[in-house]
Amino acid sequence: MLQTLPTEAALADAPPKPILQLVGVRKTFGSFAAVENIDLDVREGEFLTIVGPSGSGKTTLLRMLAGMDTPSEGNITLHGELINDVPPNKRPTCLVFQSLALFPHKSVGENIAFPLKVKGVDAAARKARALELMRIVRLPESYHDKNVMKCSGGERQRVALARALAYDPEVLFFDEPLSAIDYKLKKTLEKELKDLHRETGKTFIYITHSLEEAMVMSDRIGVMRAGRLVQVGTPEEIYGAPVDRFVCEFVGEVNTIRVKRGPDGLWSGVDVPGSFKVAPPQDGAALDEAFVVVRPEFMRFLGPGESADNRLEGTVYNEYSLGSRIQYQVRVEAKGGEKVMLVELSRARALPPGADPHVTLGWDAADAFTLES
Amino acid sequence: MAITHKRRDAAIWGWTLFVLVVVYLPIACGALASFNKSRYFGFPVKQYSTDWWGKTVDSIEIGMIVKTSISVALLVTVFSVVIATFGALAFARYDWKGRRLYQKLILLPIFFPQPVLGLAMLLGFNAVGIQTSWMTAVFAHMVWIVPVVTLVIAIQVYGFDPSLEEAAFDLGCSRLQVLREVTLPLLWPGIWSGMLFAFLLSWSNFPLSLYTTGADSTIPEWLYAKMVAGYTPMVPALGTMATLGAAALLLAGGLVGMLVRRRATA
Repeated sequence: MLQTLPTEAALADAPPKPILQLVGVRKTFGSFAAVENIDLDVREGEFLTIVGPSGSGKTTLLRMLAGMDTPSEGNITLHGELINDVPPNKRPTCLVFQSLALFPHKSVGENIAFPLKVKGVDAAARKARALELMRIVRLPESYHDKNVMKCSGGERQRVALARALAYDPEVLFFDEPLSAIDYKLKKTLEKELKDLHRETGKTFIYITHSLEEAMVMSDRIGVMRAGRLVQVGTPEEIYGAPVDRFVCEFVGEVNTIRVKRGPDGLWSGVDVPGSFKVAPPQDGAALDEAFVVVRPEFMRFLGPGESADNRLEGTVYNEYSLGSRIQYQVRVEAKGGEKVMLVELSRARALPPGADPHVTLGWDAADAFTLES
Repeated sequence: MAITHKRRDAAIWGWTLFVLVVVYLPIACGALASFNKSRYFGFPVKQYSTDWWGKTVDSIEIGMIVKTSISVALLVTVFSVVIATFGALAFARYDWKGRRLYQKLILLPIFFPQPVLGLAMLLGFNAVGIQTSWMTAVFAHMVWIVPVVTLVIAIQVYGFDPSLEEAAFDLGCSRLQVLREVTLPLLWPGIWSGMLFAFLLSWSNFPLSLYTTGADSTIPEWLYAKMVAGYTPMVPALGTMATLGAAALLLAGGLVGMLVRRRATA
């Protein structure tokens, strides 16, 4: 499904010139550093999402890119030109606010045509362009004169998007615009936004605290923590090869086993007894101590006669329905008590009701990776 | 249950009626006194007439006094609203050093006893050698009214999302265009209420005018002077006219506000 997206490696073959470049960008409020020493190249035409927990500095970063805040240190360049102090109205960029910031005293059409009115475009041309944009964001033409406050949440999203497009920016910023939308509509709008990105060819920079949103839409994801950009990469890289435990746990639930190098060269469990195999390249060959990490969906229950590179005996004591999948909590023997491992299976492969709770967990060396402890 | 509900409703209605009577009966009495044919008020009125209303309308002296009151109130309205609008933005929107102190200082004059404030200003005008007239009264009224109007408009400023201004700025507006396209239209209901407040508070102000109008006189001052010496039913007649004028302004103001809101949400 994701093969059509350019991978990090493919992009590296022909590196496009960065449209936006951040070098050593820092923002302090008093003695508090909201954003700390960020280096980032944003490629022309990409969909880049910055994710992080609230308070990680992502909104501050976005406000600096949009020109509403100025960096305390470092440089932001657009097409190679320094823009640190260029105000938002002089930048070819546009921000879609979390609150959407639609003008409540203007109609849908007036909202959308607002940037054109500011530029001095005449009324007839404004209306024509507004209707054209409404078609692009899938708003019915009859909405042109509708009071914007009488539109539904999803319709307002579209108005905000059309208004930003009317400004014809080179880079569009999004500050969690979908956070207040219900799940089903959110899924639709995510896909529409992705389509719109492809159709317009513009550079999108999106921030959210929801990794799910980031995974669906982005070409690349940057993960922020405490003002720092911890990792930037394709969704596959972030998910499959997180740089540290924070990223690893932020992008989804994991099973971690503390290990050290055994005399046989294999990883030997410190908390959970046993030896564990991890396939290269993420086998932590240079390390003496590490965590072995396995995502719940790579774990399975082994039937009689089935084999796997790694095995653990355990007892199922809880199961949760996740909709299309089921998550099991399995207690395994560990030093000083028990440890809970998570297993996620598709509904089709679920344990039958009344099955023996004593199970054998299995996973393959290629599905595990190590992280520095 | 039903009986206690009935009792409660009766108590509410009784109380409401009592308050209405207390508030509006004196005004009705004033109106009644002005339609009395004889010079002195007695109840019941023996003979009704509109003579005193006619005399009031025809009086050149009263014409000048009304003109003074209107001039003072209009100027106070214009200046207060301009100062209060920008003051309210500084008060409620922008974060700057000294903002908290400013918030307190600007509201303080509301709580000064007005006769003291009036006297202080009279002494102040004398000290710097300014001849008092209705124009100095404009200034005196503003010292008390600007804080009130600032408060009224500040409530409106608090009520709208500052990201609207940022969005306009981000979409290419200059600072002036942001003000014209977004800030002022959204503040309009507050500005409108502020204007009505400013006009009506100035229109009915007595203590500040008494000290600071010099040789000129406003309606409340004239009413007081004639009560002290030279009462005729022209006093309640002008008083009733001033009250009706204020009520009409308030009604018209409310109506305009409602129409604008209806058009905006159409």
